[in-house]
Parts: sequence; structure tokens; C-alpha cells
Amino acid sequence: MVEDITSLVTGLGFPSIESFLAAVILVLAIFGAIVVIATIRPVLGMFPYTYPNARVRARIGRIFNEKQFQEIIEAGNIEEVKNYLRGFPDYAKYIDQYPLEKALDTQLAENYDLVARITPENSRDAFKFLLKKWDIKNIKSIIIAKEAGLTQEETMDLVVPFGDLSDKLDTLIDADNVTEVLSALEGTEYTPILEDALPTYQETGMLLPLEASLDKYLLENLLRTVSTPEDDNTAYLKNYVGNMVDGTNLKIILRAKVDGLKFEDIEPYMISDGYQIREWKLKDLMEAEDVAGVVSGLEGTDYASILAEAMATYSETGSIGAFETALDSKVDETAKKIALKNQFGIGPMIGFLSKKEKEIKNLKIIARGKREEGFTPAMIKEMLV
Amino acid sequence: MVEVALGTALAAIGAGLAVGFAGLGSGLGQGIAAAGSVGAVAEDEDMFARGIIFTALPETQAIYGFLIAILLMVFTIMANKALPASLGLVAIGAGAAIGFAGLGSGMGQGITASSAVGAVVENEDMFARGIIFTALPETQAIYGFLIAILLMVFGGILAG
Repeated sequence: MVEDITSLVTGLGFPSIESFLAAVILVLAIFGAIVVIATIRPVLGMFPYTYPNARVRARIGRIFNEKQFQEIIEAGNIEEVKNYLRGFPDYAKYIDQYPLEKALDTQLAENYDLVARITPENSRDAFKFLLKKWDIKNIKSIIIAKEAGLTQEETMDLVVPFGDLSDKLDTLIDADNVTEVLSALEGTEYTPILEDALPTYQETGMLLPLEASLDKYLLENLLRTVSTPEDDNTAYLKNYVGNMVDGTNLKIILRAKVDGLKFEDIEPYMISDGYQIREWKLKDLMEAEDVAGVVSGLEGTDYASILAEAMATYSETGSIGAFETALDSKVDETAKKIALKNQFGIGPMIGFLSKKEKEIKNLKIIARGKREEGFTPAMIKEMLV
Repeated sequence: MVEVALGTALAAIGAGLAVGFAGLGSGLGQGIAAAGSVGAVAEDEDMFARGIIFTALPETQAIYGFLIAILLMVFTIMANKALPASLGLVAIGAGAAIGFAGLGSGMGQGITASSAVGAVVENEDMFARGIIFTALPETQAIYGFLIAILLMVFGGILAG
């Protein structure tokens, strides 16, 4: 038997059994290494997301559920709403520091800031850029306040202490008018954007060109940060941001059609290269006769069915709100799907930000309902998104 | 220089495979579970104990690999026996059985543990169900451990 094996091994060209075994072990080692690398690779892709996902899932668990929203809606007045929120550490730290709406926005901004800090390297640029939404919100709030002649204290209540401009906020608030606000922004990335829109503002006195150019800057560059996905996670992020961009473009077009504006009136505000709705399609939609023309022009896209449903409500009420709600729901749905499909990657973070946005939006609706006369809990519930 | 028989040297490779790959799987799994637990504790300090439990679960694969490696060493290298090459190959088989099973099981358990930590920090009631789901990938390591023991018993290594 031993001789048979020895002759077989030498027949294969090996000088001894030992050298044959060494060759077998080497082959097995190479095979083992391939198996190990193939097994470990996908796991290493999940690894950077485990820490941030655990943190955001903890925060998802603290988002108000339906029962808690019902309790807030049933609060007798705005003070009771505040008292309720004081019972939750996430809100308590801001409620006594700021007016309610500012406290809610600050809490939301804190969550965006957290996600931008803890997200893995490959998606950090996009989330960091998303933080600029607070700068843009603050600039918009300040110029609106200046135009409306609000005092510095009243203006201060509108701004959120987050974003790259937080050091400049006092100077911006101290400005006497919109032009001074723009001068105070000198040296920031927002100057060239606002300078382009300034002549239209000076001609018409309308703030819309300034606001729209800021929104355009945010979304256009946000889409650019995710334009070349490196992996599944960044591809999902691109999908989410892309849906936000398409939704914004469609809102602008629909609003323009309701207001009877023409192609050249709205063209400067459009985010030139959408995601699912590309440039040529946007042009077609902008040239549509009316709202119905825009909706029928979307045939073949994901937006056709949801906007066709909203069209019925629009025809009844004449309010564009139905379209805006439908488009916002589409972005929420996208976030929800990504969160379910990509549980070990970027999904929970996208899902969390979307849920948090919705929670804050609903809390603001409740706050407004409690502040104004004549809103019953049932009416407020009806208004929630 | 001490002369080591070929079979004994192969048994040493088997012991290395057992503890090496099982430890690799266990380490990766535990790392993933620990990263998730740290995130959970950063948000909720009460999660510390539960995080430790979930992080400890993928430790078992390394223990199985360690046990098989110890048995292989005790009955071969440490017994000062000149093992035949055929028994050395049996030892490699035993080591590979628990090594690779432990690698897959450890990583799988780590991913599930991390996910379970996320679920528990989101909803406390998920603890028991999280433990059950996390325990499931243990079975592959148990299969590997059993086969390694059977190979050693019936292959003649543990027969003395």
C-alpha cells in the first residue's frame, strides 16, 4: 500500500511524499485564503455602518408613535404641548431655551449634525453638504425678517444655531436690510449665488429669486456629491437625494403652472439635471399648458400614478397642497424602502432623517393648531402628514 | 533541533487551522457586535449590560476552535508521539471543520448580534427575540465542533 502511494506520488513528478504533501497543503492554503477573502469582504462593507446604525436606531426608537401624537394633539394649549415635550430629554434641552418652533428645528438640526459626524467616510461629504440646509434656512429666515421689518430679537427666534454660518449669525441679524445681509455674507460660498439673484430682487422687490437660488444651490450640489456612487450605500443615497431633487423640480413646475408662469420665468429656479426626470423632460414639463399637462407629461415615470391621484384632490380644492403632500410622501416612501432594503448600510440613517423630518413637521402643525383659535384635535389630526 | 514526525507536524497545522479561523470569525463577529453595542450605549447607558451579552455571544466559536486545538495538541505534539502522516491529515480535517464553521458562524452571529442590539435599543421588548435570532448561527459552529470531535475519535487521534 505504502509502495503504491509512493510510486503514484513519484509518478506525478514529486521526489517524495513530503514534497507532495507540501504541494497539497499549499494548494489548500491558497483555496482557504480565497474562501476567507470572499467571505470577509461583504462583512467588512457592513462594519463601518454598525456603530452609526445603532445610534440612529436608538433615536428611531424615541420618535413619537401614534399614541404619543394623539396625546400631544389632545393637549389643551401650547403650554401643555411644551410641558409634554419637556418629558423627553431630546426636546427638554431646547424647549426652555428657545421658542417652540426654533426648539423643534434645533432638535432636527442636531440630528442632521449627528448623522454627518458619525456616517462612514464614503457618504460623509453628502451628509456634510446636507448640513448647509441650516445655513440656507437661516439666510432665508433673516432676509424674510428684514423684509418684514422684524426686530433683532424676533429675527433671532427664527434662526437655528447650527451650520457653518453660526459664528456669523449675529452680524447677519444686526444688518438693517436685505442688501446689508448680502454684504455681511461677503466671503462665503453664498455670495456669488445671491449676487446673481440680487438684480431681480432689486427690480421686483420679491424675495423669491433669492430664496430659490439658495435652494437650487443646495440641491444641485448635493446631487453632485452623490453623482458617482462607489458602492450600494452611495447608490442608495443618490436615489434618495435624486428623489428630493425631482420632487423639488416638480413642485416648482406645478406651482408655476398654477400661477400661470411661463418657461423663461421658472427656468432659472430649476435644478438643471434631475434624477429620474432629466433635463429634456423637465423642459417638456415646463412648456406644458397647465397642471393637467404636467401630470399627463409624467406618464411612464414613478410620479404618474401619485400625481394623478393628487390631481383629483387638486380639481376639487384648487389647492396645490395635494401635489406637494404627494411628492413629499414619495420621498418618505423612498427613504422607507431604502431603510428596509439596506439595513446593514446607509438605510437606517436615511430612514431616520426622513422619519425625524416628518415628526418635526407634525409637531409644528400641532403647535400652529394650538396657537390659533378654532382648531379641534380632530382638525389638527387631519392636517398631520 | 527537535525532530518532529510528519504526521505530528500536520496535526500542528490542524490545531492552527482550528483556533486561527474560528478565532478570525469570532473576532470579526465580536467586533461588529461591539461596534453596534458602543453605538447603542452612546445613546442609552442602560444598554451596557445587554450590549455586553450580545457582544459575548460570538465568543463561543473561538472557544470551540480553542478546545479542538488543545485536544489536537494534547494527543499529538504534547504526547511526544510520532504520528503517522494519515493521522496528521485527519487532524487537518478536524481543524478545518471547526475552523471554517467557526469563521462563518462567528461572522453571521456578529452581524445578527449587531442588528439585534439596534433592535433592542429601538424597542426594549426585542431583547428575548434578539437573543433567539442571534443564537441561530451558533448551529453551524456546533456542527463543525461535532464533526471535528468525531473525526478525532474515529480517526484514532483520541484513541490514545
